[in-house]
Amino acid sequence: MNRIENKLNTLKEKNEKAFITYVTAGFPDLERTKEVIKVQEEAGTDIIELGVPFSDPTADGPVIQDASYRAICGGTTLKKVFKLVEELRAEQVEIPLVFMLYYNTIMFYGVEAFVKECERVGVDGLIIPDLPMEEQDQIKEALKGQDDTILLQLVSPVSKQRIPEILDGARGFVYCVSSMGVTGQAAQFHKEVINYLSDVKKQSKIPVMMGFGIRTAADVAPMKDIIDGAIVGTNFIRLFEESNFDMGVVREYCETFKTELNAL
Amino acid sequence: MSKKTYYGEFGGQFVSESLMNTLQEIDAAFEEAIKDEKFLKEYHYYLKQYVGRETPLYFAERLSEKYKTKIYLKREDLNHTGAHKINNVMGQILLAKRMGKKKVIAETGAGQHGVATATVAALFNMECTVYMGAEDIKRQALNVMRMEMLGAKVVSVTSGSNTLKDATNEAIRNWAKTAEDTFYVIGSAVGPYPYPKMVKEFQSVISREAKKQILEAEGRMPDVVMACVGGGSNSIGMFADFIEEKDVRLIGVEAAGLGIETGKHASAMALGKMGVLHGMKSYLLQDENGNIELAHSISAGLDYPGVGPEHAYLRDSGRAEYVSITDVEAMDALMELCKLEGIIPAIESAHAVAYAIKLAKELKEDDITIICLSGRGDKDVNTISDYLAGKGYLN
Repeated sequence: MNRIENKLNTLKEKNEKAFITYVTAGFPDLERTKEVIKVQEEAGTDIIELGVPFSDPTADGPVIQDASYRAICGGTTLKKVFKLVEELRAEQVEIPLVFMLYYNTIMFYGVEAFVKECERVGVDGLIIPDLPMEEQDQIKEALKGQDDTILLQLVSPVSKQRIPEILDGARGFVYCVSSMGVTGQAAQFHKEVINYLSDVKKQSKIPVMMGFGIRTAADVAPMKDIIDGAIVGTNFIRLFEESNFDMGVVREYCETFKTELNAL
Repeated sequence: MSKKTYYGEFGGQFVSESLMNTLQEIDAAFEEAIKDEKFLKEYHYYLKQYVGRETPLYFAERLSEKYKTKIYLKREDLNHTGAHKINNVMGQILLAKRMGKKKVIAETGAGQHGVATATVAALFNMECTVYMGAEDIKRQALNVMRMEMLGAKVVSVTSGSNTLKDATNEAIRNWAKTAEDTFYVIGSAVGPYPYPKMVKEFQSVISREAKKQILEAEGRMPDVVMACVGGGSNSIGMFADFIEEKDVRLIGVEAAGLGIETGKHASAMALGKMGVLHGMKSYLLQDENGNIELAHSISAGLDYPGVGPEHAYLRDSGRAEYVSITDVEAMDALMELCKLEGIIPAIESAHAVAYAIKLAKELKEDDITIICLSGRGDKDVNTISDYLAGKGYLN
């Protein structure tokens, strides 16, 4: 079974919500990316989104843009990120890892070769923010017939009548974008966010996660009865950077978030 | 792939889910508008009375005489605001108005599309924000001033390389945030569908007029039709009505910058690496890791790392040829056109002139070439002056 789906089943049995973070691979360097993944597995983070840096990240706000830019300048490439995952798996790190990357990075590598490499090294899921359902045929074809790597679907506050089709056959979890626009707009959720999340939850057979603009567990208190988990990206990157990449700070943040999330 | 959003295997809609409804709304509104007599009448009224169309198809006498072939110039430089850009902006803003939008945003490199958008936004009393790379703001201070005089807000973009590619990224980001009440006016034949189609539709007035004019002047179709290609808006407009005339050679001229072999150029098609950027699948300049490379050209308007998807398709299907011209060749042609015809062309357009001069050797005296003179060179005087000083021309 897929690591993401496995983890989500366990959480469901324990009646816990999922705590998911986003980390830009290679920020500040690949060695510390490895460390920040290991620390989080111990601290109780459930799933990690690993951002593969791209030169033109149109779905990201300034914080993640900057992290991506610095990672690229530091020499981070898709091949090196694959190697990182391979090493982590060899070191018995079992936390589900999701690649968050732009479609050009996949196309450049070759869609089929990319999928094969994901399966081989142990990338459990893919989030591709510039690949709406209309453009997913090729990658879905390449992913067919295996369970190791799955494509995760995104919905937005304006998806509305598109939701049933997006959810049709969706696996893992649904990523509900909390606001219009890009990552990192601190807790400025869409005005219809509650209705929107309820709408998705009603129609979804798989867990529903909310992301974009979340800083603390308290930010998702208003929707605690709807969502199955929260995704923290920009705020996590900011905290990581502002603490000068202090693993102790990361550990504490993750432990606190996870505890508070389940106490909501 | 036979989806309507594609040109062969190029095009598509590679945008975030937040923008998909918006694209579908624009597509529906656009298809309806271009079948609506009232909309078309209004569009053509403003093209005539405000933009100053039709533009002349001028027989370049001395240039033709010198190079021993017939060369015509389609004078898009005579449009209001100085380039072809306004043809498309007029169409898109009238569409925005029809859709009930009150705000428009645009990206700009050299500033021509920004100025055209600010101009038409002023005309229709719409709030206008233009995203421009910090580097370009420095290089094109005069156009920034013009946009501000016209009431637009110019936002300095300081991400990535601080140029057009990054301004476009930033416009897309802000569009995703504000699409519920804001229309994004894209200036080139790029972006997610239906943008390449809209830009072509609104620029095709260039070839519609040129076809009629050449028949009047020569009684036959031209042998060659030529235009410069950055993202490809003036060229797709110049090609549009000639695509079906199979005997007409269509030539797109990209910027070779310092030379393709130096890596400092803007010829997305010369190396032919396919990729996805700004919502479309097309040919792009990319490095060995699949990141987008910076384009280089002395002309800010051609300084773009991609090309419109229909051009990629026209190239692969063999219907159009794409060539490239270096900075030096373009500047030589620019000076020649000044001296021979009394026309100061934009550096962008000078690339097409340069290739026409090169090609003339292969052509017969009776052969007819039409060059799209996409814009005037007033905006480039500073660049030209720096270039000439460096080359010793002015001493």
